[in-house]
Amino acid sequence: MAEAHKILATIKTALEAGGQPDGHNHAAAPAPARKVAVTAGAERAELATSLARELEAVGGKFVGILSPDEVSNRIVLLAREIGATTVAIGEGVSIDMEEIGAALERADFKIVKTVPVADVERAAMRDRVANAELGIAEAEYGIASTGTLAVISTGTRPSSLTLLPTASLIIVQIDRVMADLAAVLASLGPTRLAEHRMTLITGPSRTADIEKRIVLGVHGPKALHLIVVWPRDE
Amino acid sequence: MAASAKGDFFDSSRAAVQDHELQRKLESASTRHLDHFAIVKEEFPSYEDEKTAAHRIKTDAIAHLDELLIQLTDKLQDSGCKVFFAEDAAEARKYIVDLVKSKGAQHVVKGKSMTTEEIELNPALAAAGIDPVETDLGEYIVQLRGEGPSHIITPAIHLSKEDIGQLFTDKFGTEYTAEPEKLTAEARERLRAIFLAADFGITGVNFAIAETGTLVVVENEGNGRLSSSMPETFVAVMGIEKVIPRLEDLSHFLEILARTATGQKLTTYTSFITGPRREGELDGPAEMHVVILDNGRSAMLADPVLREALNCIRCGACLNVCPIYRRIGGHAYKSVYPGPIGSIVSPNLFGSAAGYLPFASTLCGACKDICPVKIDIPRILLHLRWKETEGEHPLKWPAALERARSGARRFAGIARHPRTARLLGKIAAQMLKPFAHNGYLRWMPPPFGNWTKYRNFPRPHPQKRRPAPAENQAP
Ligand code: SF4
Repeated sequence: MAEAHKILATIKTALEAGGQPDGHNHAAAPAPARKVAVTAGAERAELATSLARELEAVGGKFVGILSPDEVSNRIVLLAREIGATTVAIGEGVSIDMEEIGAALERADFKIVKTVPVADVERAAMRDRVANAELGIAEAEYGIASTGTLAVISTGTRPSSLTLLPTASLIIVQIDRVMADLAAVLASLGPTRLAEHRMTLITGPSRTADIEKRIVLGVHGPKALHLIVVWPRDE
Repeated sequence: MAASAKGDFFDSSRAAVQDHELQRKLESASTRHLDHFAIVKEEFPSYEDEKTAAHRIKTDAIAHLDELLIQLTDKLQDSGCKVFFAEDAAEARKYIVDLVKSKGAQHVVKGKSMTTEEIELNPALAAAGIDPVETDLGEYIVQLRGEGPSHIITPAIHLSKEDIGQLFTDKFGTEYTAEPEKLTAEARERLRAIFLAADFGITGVNFAIAETGTLVVVENEGNGRLSSSMPETFVAVMGIEKVIPRLEDLSHFLEILARTATGQKLTTYTSFITGPRREGELDGPAEMHVVILDNGRSAMLADPVLREALNCIRCGACLNVCPIYRRIGGHAYKSVYPGPIGSIVSPNLFGSAAGYLPFASTLCGACKDICPVKIDIPRILLHLRWKETEGEHPLKWPAALERARSGARRFAGIARHPRTARLLGKIAAQMLKPFAHNGYLRWMPPPFGNWTKYRNFPRPHPQKRRPAPAENQAP
């Protein structure tokens, strides 16, 4: 890395030559204060509603706010509605995905379960996920102001689940829905962010590259469904 | 060509001005973009605050660029990335081409990246016998046509859906359609197969977080996610100016970038990539490289006025509002980076061949008004004009300024006497009459000839009376 030192030295010299940028007070002014949302009671429902509304505005489909007992059945219905035969599913963050997978199997859907893979098995596993018509994942957070879902990729919950299948279903716990992006990044923190790949998802894949006309599903899922779940104890 | 000679620019822009079909496409796309932007801005009361915060963070980051790059490099290496600093385009190209060769990679996929356009990576790969596939739909389309992008956000902005339909029919032998949905579906199918087979991926970077070594890639289609997570080897290419200090800084940029770039609140996908995949993971490369490119940026850093241009987050909004860009489109600039910001960075990244670009502006200020990181583009353009002409003419800036000032003073003196002003106006209009053609002055006798060298002025009308200013009003 001899080059790195050379370039860094050039940058340092350039900074000194350029001096302080004019008209700029260098004393690091504090960033504008950010309110971290207090999520209790009615406010939660409000945030969830905003999340759903914003997601629908960008072409997402809101299934509903469900109790944990309703989730499995509703997902079976959804898989039927979209005409899926194969469903890819990983581990949940706090939701029991086993139960959902079992319900889908009972309803005769083929299940692709994402488990940690050795390097040689990667391609095969990926093809199987890519062939599923529906991928199910649980988001770590929801963002009310933008209709965004934050998914973190791990061995049992790969990013492919929300990328390769034709349609995507993302589930989020209602108490994980926060007011805005800043609140989510603050709650997540740098250490956890650096552990895994994270993706913020705001709607189905889209493009506006042909005459600025919006078309959904260019590379990623053509449809994005959202279910918000109440915690089990409420 | 990253940038070519001045004569070419005048030829290409003259030709583009005549291309009314091109203007129709640009007008329609720019208007659509600005409409969306107006709506999201209206709905987001903190927009101005976020702009201020973003400007402050970026200015600070640029002022500490050396320290931040050291921190970023450490963190990237901790997370398992290989880091390469490239002094110029040639070094960056060589590193990537050598890497592709050493991996024996067959299928190279690229996410959208202006930086790789800047270093002319594709021709270098092609020369080495490797055909990289551009996977952003707009980039894919222009690559099929053998062109470069004409807009930094919307690469195929200069094409109509009919043009693209014809292109697909010609290239793939498919039935002609001009429906964006069908064209997109066709591209999806072709590119999906390529993604699943890809063994080498390349993307750009929107932000690099120094405290964590995380690269942030912003996109709508999913091709950035695919390019960075499917292949075994992944290379991210970034300019030195992309680094920001902390994770908490990021929200300010993301809150404004999508709004100004595409009129969205947030782009569809924002990927946070910290190192290659961990054991047992399905997604992510086995090997990840980060190429950090200088290529003229440190020279911009050394100029206190120019430095501000490194704040740019490449949202493309200044192109959409620019009256020149909207008339001639991106290709006429003959540079990878067109439009107002392109006119600033091109001469600095590509050398004196693009030195004419700072003159391709009316200095109307629309770019400055829309810029989400508050870059004073007209001021920097003037500064570059001064630098460019300083070498050519004995005329130095203070002298030119003094001449302009005295001219303005004389004009103000005359304008204070409406009757004299009208009389002089009439005389001037009469005198200029023989030079007018179709209502425009295309040529004037010396010493005014320089004015009309590259511009046409509407012919002054003697009968057109300006309303007399109400005299003695309080200012
Ligand atoms: S100069 Fe400003 S408006 Fe233009 S692309 Fe850069 S950030 Fe956007």
